[in-house]
Amino acid sequence: MKKRLSMGFAATAALALTAGLLTPAQAATTVVVWADESRGPNLVKTLKDKADWVDGVEIEIKSFSGFDALKTAIDAATATSGPDIVVGANDWVPTLAKNGKLAPLTLTATQRAGFSASQFYDLTYKKKLYGVPVDVNNVAMIYNTKLVTSAPKTFADMVDYYKANKASKSLKAGLCVAGGGMSWGAHSIASALGADAYYFNPDGRINKSKVFNPNTLGENVKKYLLDAKKSNGFLPASDTGCKDNFLAGTVPFAIIGNWEWTDYTAKGFTMNLMPVPGVVSGQSGNAFGSVSGALLTTFAATRGREAAAKSVLTDFFGSAAGQVAYQKYEKRPPAHKGAASSASVTDGQKGFGASAAAASVPQIGAILNGSGKSYWDSLPAYWTAVLVDGKDPVAEAKKLATIYRNNLRAAVNDI
Amino acid sequence: MTFMLRGRVAFVVKAALLALISAVLLMLTQSAFGQGQYAIAFFLAVAIILLNFTYFNKRTVPLKFFIPGILLLTAFVVTPILYTLVMSTFTYKTGNYISKEQAISRIQALAIEPDENGSAFDIVVGTYQGQSAILVSDVLNSSYFISTQNDRIPLDVATLNTDENGVAQGASDFVATASEDISGSEAAKLRFKFRDEYFISVESLNVGVVYRQSLEYFPNVDQFKSLIGNAVYVDNGNGNYVNTNDSADKLEPGWRDPAWFSNYLRLFQDEQVRSPLISVFIWTVVFASLTVLTQFSFGLLLALALNKPIRGRRIYRSILVLPYAMPSIMSILIWGGMFNTEFGAINEIIGSQIAWFQDATFARAAVILVNLWLGFPYFYLVCSGSLQAIPSELMEAAAIDGANPRQIFRKITLPLLLQILSPLLIASFAFNFNNFNLIYLLTGGGPKAQLDGEIAGATDILISYTYQIAFGTNIQDLGLASAISVIIFVIVAAISLYGVKKSKVLESFS
Repeated sequence: MKKRLSMGFAATAALALTAGLLTPAQAATTVVVWADESRGPNLVKTLKDKADWVDGVEIEIKSFSGFDALKTAIDAATATSGPDIVVGANDWVPTLAKNGKLAPLTLTATQRAGFSASQFYDLTYKKKLYGVPVDVNNVAMIYNTKLVTSAPKTFADMVDYYKANKASKSLKAGLCVAGGGMSWGAHSIASALGADAYYFNPDGRINKSKVFNPNTLGENVKKYLLDAKKSNGFLPASDTGCKDNFLAGTVPFAIIGNWEWTDYTAKGFTMNLMPVPGVVSGQSGNAFGSVSGALLTTFAATRGREAAAKSVLTDFFGSAAGQVAYQKYEKRPPAHKGAASSASVTDGQKGFGASAAAASVPQIGAILNGSGKSYWDSLPAYWTAVLVDGKDPVAEAKKLATIYRNNLRAAVNDI
Repeated sequence: MTFMLRGRVAFVVKAALLALISAVLLMLTQSAFGQGQYAIAFFLAVAIILLNFTYFNKRTVPLKFFIPGILLLTAFVVTPILYTLVMSTFTYKTGNYISKEQAISRIQALAIEPDENGSAFDIVVGTYQGQSAILVSDVLNSSYFISTQNDRIPLDVATLNTDENGVAQGASDFVATASEDISGSEAAKLRFKFRDEYFISVESLNVGVVYRQSLEYFPNVDQFKSLIGNAVYVDNGNGNYVNTNDSADKLEPGWRDPAWFSNYLRLFQDEQVRSPLISVFIWTVVFASLTVLTQFSFGLLLALALNKPIRGRRIYRSILVLPYAMPSIMSILIWGGMFNTEFGAINEIIGSQIAWFQDATFARAAVILVNLWLGFPYFYLVCSGSLQAIPSELMEAAAIDGANPRQIFRKITLPLLLQILSPLLIASFAFNFNNFNLIYLLTGGGPKAQLDGEIAGATDILISYTYQIAFGTNIQDLGLASAISVIIFVIVAAISLYGVKKSKVLESFS
């Protein structure tokens, strides 16, 4: 019995120890980068073309099944399991920095000059920069040239077209949001009607006391989106079905995202991208021209790879050459000025880049995420309140303005 | 054939299987240990010992049947419950995720600030006369020097090897470190002398940035003191260091701090939490009750209808089971699309513009309706089976005694069915009490008047409300969510116990 017992244990121990010994060791200068299901494989392709972006440093990419999966993973990451760099959304920065997951970095003047100053807003929390801008995330308005012959000059032009052709052309809406949802994607519509999420001083700094005028927004909503207190059907309160309806030719104007423009060109639409026209000719609504960032984690320092990780950030992710090489596969507008002007960047990428340059505001998570009620929940709630529930647009706009003001006040120390 | 169960072959197979399982568990133990997950590593190690002891020992025969279940139950049921219980006694939310030691370390790392010019220099990392050092090129000012921790040695550019940009690559007595070795080197962690309180830190492999320390930690008094101003930051007992002169001035990150029962007290004392919790609890009970009632009623109606021999009964039965055969997630998403106000099939068919998910009453009706679709086939199946189990003699006797079909159903069939099905009805109630998928995928808990400050939506049930507190917003309050989860657990456990008692399952063991 004892012999059998010891034989069994011996066999178990032998196999178990063999398994333990087979665990691979990690190279000291390998920088681990986490990215989502789109960026990860494209980064792998980029690094296959050229791997030696930083002398003596190997870049290892780990892809996740989706953006949410990546966020869940980085939230749960520990010093031993986490990445050195994560390519993620700019609005992750405040939360991850608060939770001690991100480490700051300092760019040289030359490195900073490669980007527009506003792009650093997105990746800054409490005056510290946590990553480098990689690509521009924005939306722009596209119009169906089979329905509309020329670009609208004012918001009223679009509404008038919709009302005149609604029945004859079986239009399901006038303008809808296909990309970015009724908060992020619809900011340009709110802005065109007079309600930006925040405003800037002439020196480029955030105006910490100004919020939109609720009377202006409310009256514009009444004038352009309602008929006798009910929605006139021009702007649906939800983004559901917008893309399909635009592609089917039953919506003349749509807000689309720069991550899906190839879906539209594949159906024969030209990238006649433009900002949402304002209520006054010559003005337009600002869209969020935010950036995705390659963010430095605290895990890099824990594992003694911080200097290498920072070099990967500056020499690959934050360099013109690196972004041109990467955007060859990712096909988003590159954030770096030098990359954006490169001849190898496609028309679609340039179209969105131009739109972002024409009318955009940076996405500042510290303000937008709010101190209880976020911008992300509040603006969709406003559309629902006025377009679906039939509530008074001015009264609801006052509530919205109060939320924006409170969020701005709460974020004063964080921006 | 018995040689397969007893004897040498059986022993070899058993040893091989156990060795394989132990090897996998040992790999996981090693991985958990390596990642600092000592509790998991300890559990896995204990599991290896227990498994081997149990299956290589003849005196533990009964345990051989129970040990896999006991281990899995411990890992996936008991541990999460205990962890939730423990977390409900902590301040555990956005900004308070890590331990106090980690928080102090992060605050110290963040408490550096660049000089007024944001000075950054090209550097070469290496050693100078045996000490860690950097060779610094201030190209704009044509200034070159070597910095060690304590000294700054000016250099004459004529004595240096410089590249085409004027950046020094080498100097006398300076030995450069290879690029691949810099990150892990001691130099990467050091502060090199610059001027006054400013130092140069290795920012990347070839760039150094000028910083100064802005805060210092004093462990003996557990305080941070500003090195630039007079601010003093003390532990506020709630997981943060706070400025003694300005309570709004907190250092980040904070840490998980024991809060004992304060999360539970918030459920009763904090109006912002208590008010939505009461309405959510009421709707949860109504939702679970209505769901069970409608699913059971409709399932029973169909079962009664198809209990009679009618033409095409098998086809009808097959069709009725289809909603049950389809993945519920797909069904819910399809229903979500059909309820869309502008483009949904339901509004198209009935020719209306009902905002199903924007109006509280319609949204609740939609939730009940979709859940009815998902759940009636189950009750149809169990009712059909139960109807077969009721002796037909009872109905025949009642009919002879003059009872009409309605009386037979009310006085005989239904009471007998309820007796048979009551444990299933209770189980269904408990399941729907926590039916997160339906609410999350169909309405997301909405609608809610966000602009009026409503936190919970009209269709939020306790579990979806808890999820929203824990993960649904940018400010995640896991401690509070854990406290609500514990309360949900107590309620569902009580319902389940009642169900078990009702079904008298445990009596067979007594």
